[in-house]
Amino acid sequence: MKSREAWQELEKIREGRDVVGHVEEVLARVEKWEGEVKAYISLEIPELLRQRGEELERRLRKGEKVGKLAGLLVSVKDNICTTALPTTAGSRMLDGYVSPYNATVVERLLAEDAIVIGKTNLDEFAMGSTTELSAFWPTRNPWDLTRVPGGSSGGSASSLAYGGADLSLGSDTGGSARLPAAYTATVGLKPTYGLVSRYGLIPYGNSLEQISPMARSVRDVALLLEVIGGWDARDATSLRVGSPVFSLEPAEARGQKICLVKEMVEGAEEPVEKLFWNVVEKLSSEGAELEEVRIPVLSKALPTYYTIAFAEAASNLARYAGIFYPSKGSSGIWEEYVGEARAKGFGREVKRRILMGVYALSEGFRDEFYVAATRVRRAIRDEVLKLTRRCIIAAQASPILPPRIGERLDDPLKLYYMDMYTVVANLAGVPALVQPIGFSHGLPVGIQWIAGPLEEQKLISLGLLVESLTGLAGVMVD
Amino acid sequence: MTEAGSKLFCNCKANYRGMEPNTNVCPVCIGLPGALPVVNRKSVELALAASLAFSCSTPEYIVFTRKHYFYPDLPKNYQISMYERAGGVPICRGGRVRYLDIHAWEWKECRLRRINIEEDPGKTVYGEGGILRSAEAYVDYNRSGVPLLEIITEPDLGSAREARQLVEYVLLVLEYLGVTNPRLEGAFRVDANVSVEGGERVEVKNIGSTLDVERAINYEIMRQSAILSSGGKVERETRHWDAERGSTRPLRQKEQEEDYLYFPDPDLPPIFLREMVDRARSLAALNDPSALFAQVVELGVSKEMAWSLVTTRPALELFLQSVKRGADPQLSARLIAVDYKGELREKNRDPYDPSSWPATEYVTELVRLVKEGVYTYDAVKGIVLPKLAENPMVDLKSVLPQRAENLDSIIDEVLKREERAVKDYLSGKAQAMNYLVGAVIKATGKKALDPRAIREAIEKRLGRGS
Repeated sequence: MKSREAWQELEKIREGRDVVGHVEEVLARVEKWEGEVKAYISLEIPELLRQRGEELERRLRKGEKVGKLAGLLVSVKDNICTTALPTTAGSRMLDGYVSPYNATVVERLLAEDAIVIGKTNLDEFAMGSTTELSAFWPTRNPWDLTRVPGGSSGGSASSLAYGGADLSLGSDTGGSARLPAAYTATVGLKPTYGLVSRYGLIPYGNSLEQISPMARSVRDVALLLEVIGGWDARDATSLRVGSPVFSLEPAEARGQKICLVKEMVEGAEEPVEKLFWNVVEKLSSEGAELEEVRIPVLSKALPTYYTIAFAEAASNLARYAGIFYPSKGSSGIWEEYVGEARAKGFGREVKRRILMGVYALSEGFRDEFYVAATRVRRAIRDEVLKLTRRCIIAAQASPILPPRIGERLDDPLKLYYMDMYTVVANLAGVPALVQPIGFSHGLPVGIQWIAGPLEEQKLISLGLLVESLTGLAGVMVD
Repeated sequence: MTEAGSKLFCNCKANYRGMEPNTNVCPVCIGLPGALPVVNRKSVELALAASLAFSCSTPEYIVFTRKHYFYPDLPKNYQISMYERAGGVPICRGGRVRYLDIHAWEWKECRLRRINIEEDPGKTVYGEGGILRSAEAYVDYNRSGVPLLEIITEPDLGSAREARQLVEYVLLVLEYLGVTNPRLEGAFRVDANVSVEGGERVEVKNIGSTLDVERAINYEIMRQSAILSSGGKVERETRHWDAERGSTRPLRQKEQEEDYLYFPDPDLPPIFLREMVDRARSLAALNDPSALFAQVVELGVSKEMAWSLVTTRPALELFLQSVKRGADPQLSARLIAVDYKGELREKNRDPYDPSSWPATEYVTELVRLVKEGVYTYDAVKGIVLPKLAENPMVDLKSVLPQRAENLDSIIDEVLKREERAVKDYLSGKAQAMNYLVGAVIKATGKKALDPRAIREAIEKRLGRGS
């Protein structure tokens, strides 16, 4: 096991370490691991990365001001639009598509002199929890190559776990950044809904998702969120707040109020349970106050989440008709052409979700499904907000250890069940952090913390405290 | 809403006319992956003003809804529109339009069911042979995303003419509010639902002018009545108005309501109207054609002339300004609404273009000159207005009929010289007067004199004047 944090690399670069040397170091990790892990759908040409490094070196030598992420290599989930590299969303439908514009978050990365190393693999249109449902290939978990890295941001998580990037941008609709973080011993923070601009994120469930910073430590995640967060005029759902600035002081255990929500703690398999309670009890012994609570309505969280996400997805994916993007159909009759393009362009799971989403929105069923789900969602949000006013919620990140590749593919319900602890934060629009707390049989296990709207600072402070207890900051495979 | 400036959800232009195909587009209005809509507030303000003008009950906030259907000119395969259910909130529910029946000169009322703000799709252009026979179809997205107001009435209209008058009045109100320029190509479309007693409702789409509203509905009434009177059945269907042939043809049978999978657009949070209401309300109050019409009639102007003024806004502005500066209302109205407007029409100049009209001082001056008897109205009408209509900026003095300075003495001289003609005239030969007028004009050596004024002066001299 190795340890490397992005902020340390940044300091070294600031102190005069050559940027190209850092680029080479990361490229060496890619060279070593990428062939087996397959975290990236597209990688920037190494020569271009070196050139960017040289450019930055020149500017540093001249004493010019450089950005907050100068020289760091960032991997970007392939559902976030970039002009330099194609953006496929993991779908055949967009194979070869190059966006004519950069997502707002990418603009902000580039403005701070980050270097985008490549675009990471994901379940098609972010629909999945294992990254096996990518139209291209499954990504493997660097900690155990027979296992999945979680999804849908599995490519981002794996790229971090083997040291193939310093930082990564994922997206999180129902746990898509946090579940992979838990499975790869990395850190994922799903921000408050509206803190990070979605402009340029290919939507799956618009009302639920946020582009999410991922890294190997809490401090790195904070650094990345400072860069990408804050209001964007191009996203009407973005909140009118400035870029966040975080204190890196760990929280004091004493006086920390932690709520254990039964519905989000119980039901995980034994090794996961054990590590969860280890950490919670440690915090308690250091003076944190624990409180056990129940939120019965959370038993409906998973169906509520999937109903809303599928409805939004069915609508969002209507535009993919093989017209603007690389052609998929062959017939000259428009209806047939579109039908064929969609039949060929979308994978099974995407089609399943479109069908269920259409069903949930259909005349006669809409009230029973979509409208009912929005009502339950409000109830869930109210309950969560009531709780986060007095405590940070401690929750499992995943009910299971990372499954083997292929294990969960056949039964969609088993797949959906993996998100049971993570969807709550998306339904409520509140921030949630997943960080590693240990390994079981060599497989990473994470814990999840949930705070109130715009309380990312609380999560970061607590996360830093937990890191100091576990010593798991910056870990990656050898 | 041609005057909204930008498209409903991006910064491309609302008025795309005259642009090369697919040059007024951006990632948002062609629905590229990841692009997000942001509402153009001006569109909402204008729509709100229209809602207030039509006495709608306006909600506290509005919620845009996605309406799904697959079509090549709809880039996202859903249209961002409004809907009153499933969590959507339209800008207006339940209003009314009071419109003027200009044949009976009475105000009629038509209830409104709803007003929606929505985005226009792109435009499909067919090759040779049109929609039926062309092998090619081209899509131009310049129009995609342009803000539209969808105004839905209750079934309160009893005739094609009423429908036309309603549409004309609605367009007038929208023009006054600065929402649209109804004379621009494609600025509005009308779908007319026509049902004759004993038959189902038939929707006629693709009506593009107010004249065609009347024509299409009359055609449909005739067609449906003929079917019914020959014992047939009128089924519920959608038909297409063919303006060239002057007839409707079937588009599709409406077996059931289409399922548009309506749900609130998650990219667009509710928009609260509170901050906009005051401005929209004063916009609506200051630009109400019915109030302006009443104001003009109040000044003693005939309804016909008042309507002529109100329907041509630059004319109305000119009239109101002139009256404000003391010009006689009736004379001003006649000069502006009847004769100058007529000259513009004759010269093919656009009466809706303010630069087609002369300055207020010109009108007040002309009205004063007529009022004080310096010129007859006919002289102004026949000599001044045609020249002004050609060039409203021309120096007024240069187009006024010239007056001989010593006209009285010239007349005396001519009358003395032309004793015979005078005698003829006095003895009842009316045509002798024409000779005398001609002689006077000749004696002054000028052409641009007002013959009527000279005639009057001669008559006065001979003691015949009124």
